[in-house]
Amino acid sequence: MNDHLSLTVLGWIGIYAPVALGAIGAAIGCTIAGQAAIGAMMEVSSGYGRFVGLSALPSSMSIYGIVVMFILNRSVTPINAGGLFGIGVLSGLTFLVSAIYQGLCCASAIAGSKSKPEIFGLALAPAAIVEGFAVFAFVFALVAAGGIPES
Amino acid sequence: MSPRYTTLMASLPPLGGLFEAREPAISRLKLQSRLSLLHPHDRQRLNGAIRILSQGLLGDASQAGESSGQPGRGDALLLEEAERFFREVDHPLLRQLVRHRLDLRTIVAALRRRHRGEAEAPRGQAWGSGPLVATIERHWSEPSLGLAGLFPWIGEAVLLLETNDLIGLERLLFSLIWRELDRLAQGHNFDFEAVVIYLARWSLVERWSNYDATAAAQRFRQLVSAGLGRFTDTLAVCPAR
Repeated sequence: MNDHLSLTVLGWIGIYAPVALGAIGAAIGCTIAGQAAIGAMMEVSSGYGRFVGLSALPSSMSIYGIVVMFILNRSVTPINAGGLFGIGVLSGLTFLVSAIYQGLCCASAIAGSKSKPEIFGLALAPAAIVEGFAVFAFVFALVAAGGIPES
Repeated sequence: MSPRYTTLMASLPPLGGLFEAREPAISRLKLQSRLSLLHPHDRQRLNGAIRILSQGLLGDASQAGESSGQPGRGDALLLEEAERFFREVDHPLLRQLVRHRLDLRTIVAALRRRHRGEAEAPRGQAWGSGPLVATIERHWSEPSLGLAGLFPWIGEAVLLLETNDLIGLERLLFSLIWRELDRLAQGHNFDFEAVVIYLARWSLVERWSNYDATAAAQRFRQLVSAGLGRFTDTLAVCPAR
């Protein structure tokens, strides 16, 4: 009975982890990049919009988390709980860490491009590369989720 | 690396190269206003380091002592300040930065004393700081003070001193500090360490860009004093009508 309960709990954690961890990471990443945007706006007299837009980039991680949660969402049984837990928690952790580091990349891009606006496009490259790794985790979480039994 | 000062660092302009700027990219007033974003505890730690780092490398402290009629008193005050700093501040990067600056100052002080004709290391007075003092005292008569392995630039500094090229010497020392700051800056973008390194760099740029202006103002004051002195003497010997 206890084993059954534990497995069910793990399964539910797995289902909700991607959105929870992704949202936490996005909040931290957007805070870091947003603070840099505010700092840059203190120094420049125009082009505020692109700084604010860039600082919202890490929020994509919470969207990936939501999609993974919907894909994983099903009745939890002892048979599928392990798979739900593994895919959910690991993809959630990937979104969490990616969002934080993407926030740092965005902050650097903002700080660098405030005095050299011509590098703005190129300065986005590190943040885009981090996004790419998160997309790998996202896509393969969807692929792997296809192999988890429905009940 | 904790991105604690993202706003502050993003609000500071890039400083560019050390010898390129004619003036710092941000004024002292504006910089002080931006530093109000620092946490009070960090501000306190930073102030302790700035009191030491803002001292010149070519003997401001000793000049301060000489102007008060006590040669060497300025050095002693600086060393007291450094001792207090090392007692109170435990931040690794700040300590490393101050240690490096004091080491440079100690080496330059020894080289200048030797260049002035002092045949032996000074005894009974505070003239340097840190573990280098004992080595320098043992190897006083050697050209590189027994430190050529650790500090290969000493030979160049000796040459610049012998040719009385003090600007060249200051340039060399500034370059060494700049390189050390480059090394320490690795991995620090938006944390307290990044703020400290930015300020240290700003201080160098500001000092270098003011170098000629300061020298010119000093020379101007000397000329004015000399001119007024002659004028006063002339009036003094002029018979009253």
